[in-house]
Amino acid sequence: MKPRNVGGAAFRPPRLADRLLKLFCAPHRLEEVQGDLHEEFAYQVERIGERRARWSYWRDVLGFIKPFAMKRTPSVPLRLAGRFGVDSSSSFLNSYMLRNYFRTAWRNLVKNQFYSVINITGLTAGLAVGILILLWVQDELSFDRFHAKVSNIYRLENWAGTGSSRQIWANTVAPIAEFGKKEVPEVKDAVRMTGNGYFTLFKYKDKVVNKEKTAFTDPSFFSVFDFPLIQGNPAKPFPDEHSVVLTETTAKRYFGDENPLGKILMANNVSFKVSGVIKDFPKNSSIQNDMFMPISLLFTTMYQDRTDGRNRDNDFHQFSYETYLLLEPSASVSSVATKLRNIHLRNKPDDTDLTYLLQPLSDMHLYRADGTNGGIETVRMFSIIALLILAIACINYVNLSTARSLLRSKEVSMRKVVGATKGQLFVQFIIETALLFSLATVLAIGLLYLLLPTYNQLSGKEIVLDFTNYHIWQVIGLAISGTLIASSIYPALLLSSLEPLKALKGKVSSRLSEATFRKILVVTQFAVSVILMVGTFIISNQLQYIRSKELGYDKTHVFAFSMRDMSPHYDAVKAELLQQPGVAGVTRASSNIVRIGEQTGNNEWDGKEQGETMMVRPVAVDKDFIPFFKMKLEQGVNFTGAVADSLHFILNETAVKTARIKNPIGKRFKLRNHDGTIIGVVKDFHFASMRQKIEPAIFYYEPNQMRAIYIKTTGQNAEQVIAAAERSWKQYNPDYPLDYAFLDDVFNNLYKSEQKTGTLFNVFATIAILISCLGLFGLATYTAQVRTREIGVRKVLGASVTGIIQLLAKDFIKLVIIAIFIAVPIAWYSMNQWLSDFAYRIDVQWWVFVLAGLLALSVALLTVSFQSIKAALMNPVKSLRSE
Amino acid sequence: MAMKRSYLGEFEEIVLLTVAVMEGQAYGVALTHEIIEQTGRSVRLNQIHAALQRLEDKGMVKSEMGEPTAERGGRRKRLFTVTAYGRRTLQEIQDVRVNLWTRMPDPFNPAISL
Repeated sequence: MKPRNVGGAAFRPPRLADRLLKLFCAPHRLEEVQGDLHEEFAYQVERIGERRARWSYWRDVLGFIKPFAMKRTPSVPLRLAGRFGVDSSSSFLNSYMLRNYFRTAWRNLVKNQFYSVINITGLTAGLAVGILILLWVQDELSFDRFHAKVSNIYRLENWAGTGSSRQIWANTVAPIAEFGKKEVPEVKDAVRMTGNGYFTLFKYKDKVVNKEKTAFTDPSFFSVFDFPLIQGNPAKPFPDEHSVVLTETTAKRYFGDENPLGKILMANNVSFKVSGVIKDFPKNSSIQNDMFMPISLLFTTMYQDRTDGRNRDNDFHQFSYETYLLLEPSASVSSVATKLRNIHLRNKPDDTDLTYLLQPLSDMHLYRADGTNGGIETVRMFSIIALLILAIACINYVNLSTARSLLRSKEVSMRKVVGATKGQLFVQFIIETALLFSLATVLAIGLLYLLLPTYNQLSGKEIVLDFTNYHIWQVIGLAISGTLIASSIYPALLLSSLEPLKALKGKVSSRLSEATFRKILVVTQFAVSVILMVGTFIISNQLQYIRSKELGYDKTHVFAFSMRDMSPHYDAVKAELLQQPGVAGVTRASSNIVRIGEQTGNNEWDGKEQGETMMVRPVAVDKDFIPFFKMKLEQGVNFTGAVADSLHFILNETAVKTARIKNPIGKRFKLRNHDGTIIGVVKDFHFASMRQKIEPAIFYYEPNQMRAIYIKTTGQNAEQVIAAAERSWKQYNPDYPLDYAFLDDVFNNLYKSEQKTGTLFNVFATIAILISCLGLFGLATYTAQVRTREIGVRKVLGASVTGIIQLLAKDFIKLVIIAIFIAVPIAWYSMNQWLSDFAYRIDVQWWVFVLAGLLALSVALLTVSFQSIKAALMNPVKSLRSE
Repeated sequence: MAMKRSYLGEFEEIVLLTVAVMEGQAYGVALTHEIIEQTGRSVRLNQIHAALQRLEDKGMVKSEMGEPTAERGGRRKRLFTVTAYGRRTLQEIQDVRVNLWTRMPDPFNPAISL
């Protein structure tokens, strides 16, 4: 045993513990406490040894982290309190007072039913709608984030083309994935995926499930993404090329309750063995599919008869594969892109205009392929609206409760006089707000349940109120607690800080004109309403504009479908159809005119510069295609159907402009390997969404590529025409159901998301405005109420009813006008921002602002005047007698 | 009119009694050790300090700083003494107890079972 040093210098207590003690212990107590601790330590060293004494010391120090040791000021001995038996440790949260707060809060709610109803309605509506929007936002933000490796998965894309025809492709060539895995060390794994056009109509025995979405993919699909097999061998999802993996639902559709593994599906006389089942794709997955086949099967099928020497390892021509790369966490995205580009150029040196880029998987849903804002803008817009709606609901509450503070001022003063502290009053009012909020919350959640089905229909989402899902709680909890905090603190502060003397004398202002803060809030509320109204008008105008804009062709009453095996018999089918009543015309082309998918940069013309690429949309069209769609030939002539037409081209105006061809008729043009001449120029027409500029397009004549048939009905007898088309279809495609679509529907689908956004925006804006008005109504009612006697006196002295209405409404109207002036620039800026996303857009016109302003004004006037008129018409005898 | 007596917790009572017993020499560590010895409870320093502070707040003890010692690294101790009010409170408690005990019909007879 070590010799003991009486001074304690040999064994010092733990310094860290001492420092900790100094940190929290009140300075005036530190000396005695530390002294005691050191003495105790010396004693314990003697008794139980140094090591355990140190432990004991720590325990003791930690034991002092208690309020009694932390009180910063020396406490005055409360002998008096002790004498009278008051428990001096009572805090303002003791249970008697709490009970009392709840009781007064409840009495207040019941006593002022009118205001309680207004408050609760506003809060309930605000909370319910706010939460609904936030749920939508959360769902949008959750897209593709469920993959464990999401932060390291990227979609591979290409920039291609030069100048104005430079564009982004989300699909790449096939071999780059394999090369990347082999040669770029940062690439851990790669997945390719491409739609299946080879095998259609899968059958099990005689059961056909049409319209399933099938794709070819790499086996790594099931390990890179979180789409694990629930049945089958994860090490070998595709044991051979004729394997197929289904989603749970697809498997159920084919096989019912039977075990799907090992079952045989037939397509195009090829049999596929079910080798695995995966869970259905989550709703918030960008990748959605029903069936997967190995991509090696596609390569085998595609390249087996090729004579041009292309195969799966060297075909750097076909950009049709979605490619996803799993990178090392430390990898630099741009360096991977550069390495991949070098590999590409090594294999295909003339693709100098091509660069690679990688988009994070988590950005796929909300950003466009090139990384610019896509859906994220709507998400932002809606988040802001949700916050605004919640803010409006808060403002209502704050305004009403502060305005009515006069009525409470006497209670508050009495409480103060009797000895309530500011803190106690603060807690009291917080509790009051919380009580009202709990009522509103319960109602709001009920309302959520009621609204959800309609909302899902409107928004195209499938949100479920699954309370076991903590994400839902996040949203609801945040919305409610945020709103509660925002709306409870100010009124509680205000009420608790009333000066009892003034309040008891009745010197608390009751008029709106004296409460600047309340004014600001009303202005904010109405500014928000005006902004939302302007937004509503502009969005619906733009959507109207898009839908009614001259497209450059006439798509009414036209339906189309892909002919499959009918296409060699087109002439016969056409002749037959033209005899049907109701058929106005028939034509054919290689793709859908509303949405031309194909694109090529493989073209040449006189005057093309070195390294220049023009991406054009090629469409093979029949000779009657242009008149059928009532397109306008600006120059030149149409195809005649002669053999020579295979070397004739018709360009659209944009193509002529982009290629800078002067006097185009008769000029040389080469599309792919057809070296021909330009015989016509067609007026520009919209073959894509209005978000995009019209791109160069080219018509060529190649009958065996025109696999899509267009049938125009007279508008009547459409059903008979479809039936006739179906009869012809069955004749040549007995196994397949006819899958036709009216161009009008296809067109409308282009704007489905805009349409949805527009509708939702309308609904949200309306609700926001209604809630604002509710608040204003409450405030107006209150003002009229407190001024009852003033009005009585004025009437007795000869004021007219209109004069009194003016008097009451003036205050509010002034505020609304200020709000309009604040709102206009904000609305103008943000709507221009939204419109800038459209290549074809309306201009923001001044009358929109005037209309929104007038509407806001009249809504406010209506709300206020209801109460004002009531007050003005009241018999002064009654109001004056109430004294 | 019977005046309500201030509450004194059982532990506070023990501390207060010990302070009274140690007349003039009562401070944190000494009190802790004394109480451990007398009652056999495992008491920690912080509990004693807390109780002493409560007692002081209630006006039952008063304190002054004593002499520094070497074991304490030259720090002074706070010495507690019982106030008159504290004494009276202790006395009252004792009176109530004694009163009750004397009124017990059979104070020390163990229960006899048949």
